[in-house]
Amino acid sequence: MLARLEGGLADFQSGFAASLLSAEKVADRRFSVHRNNVKASLVAALAARFPVVSRLVGVEFFQAMALVFIERCPPRSPVLAAYGAGMGDFLDGFEPVADLPYLADVSRLEWGRRLAWHAADASTISIEALTAVEPDRLAGVRLDLHPAASVVASVWPVISIWTTNTGDEEARPIGPDWVGQSALITRPGLEVFVNALPPSAELLFRSLSAGVALGEAVARAEHIAGFETAAALSLLFRTGAVTSLAVE
Amino acid sequence: MTIRTTNLALAAAVAAASLMSVGAGAQTANTDKERCYGISMAGKNDCAATGNNSCAGQAKADYDAKAWKYVAKGSCMNMEVTLKDGMKRKGTLTPM
Repeated sequence: MLARLEGGLADFQSGFAASLLSAEKVADRRFSVHRNNVKASLVAALAARFPVVSRLVGVEFFQAMALVFIERCPPRSPVLAAYGAGMGDFLDGFEPVADLPYLADVSRLEWGRRLAWHAADASTISIEALTAVEPDRLAGVRLDLHPAASVVASVWPVISIWTTNTGDEEARPIGPDWVGQSALITRPGLEVFVNALPPSAELLFRSLSAGVALGEAVARAEHIAGFETAAALSLLFRTGAVTSLAVE
Repeated sequence: MTIRTTNLALAAAVAAASLMSVGAGAQTANTDKERCYGISMAGKNDCAATGNNSCAGQAKADYDAKAWKYVAKGSCMNMEVTLKDGMKRKGTLTPM
């Protein structure tokens, strides 16, 4: 140990941290016990964070996959609850799950729910706040979206996959007529909600969250097939995605 | 479109949106509700704990013991249903 310290404390620490998460064998038995505990806790944290992904691939596969994830994407923050952010991108490039192309988006949905759960609290407003605005000033209204509100867009039926693997003991088969789904995740109170956002309304959500005024945000989305202003606005308010509005 | 007609279209959409907001089937706050098992009629459940039926409206039998329905908090245990064989049973907060 002393010999290792001679190389400098910083070197020792970075070597320690690096070998903590690597798959290589280490000579020191006590270190290997510690390393095992660290990895087991991270795998358990990931399994808790991505229960649906785990169910889709099976517990054993998930644990092995989690070890690869831990090695490639080690924690960047001491906050365990913040660990797992890169799972979607990791799964996109993880060859063994290439035949489950929807898996990455399912993990993004699970991650979005986690973000919503830990996001700041805020009170929401109903659509009546918007109907109270004079028609001539509506276009200039800016909506503040809830810190917990986010959208996970997918070409896969992520909500159906997530729902059946969350609530059902036996997963329901998804019919041949499935379509891609965008999930609107909100947490107006103490419960996280997942609602289907029409894909055409996704741009509206993104524009509004970027602070674009209502008139301009609607104008950008209007040319998208299937976009209905009323339905999209109704959904945003109803699910608790809006916290306040400002009239110019 | 002129600015004027754009504003009118937006106002009309907002008015329509406020009408849609009642009972439009989105998942919204259920914090004042509780899941009550064994009281929902076939096809009228909100979800289920297990079994072949899965979620909203998929229960195949009346008063399926594993299907649940959202009810006002505190009211589940007081709900009584009469089963086919004439037995009476109360709702429960966990699957039967």
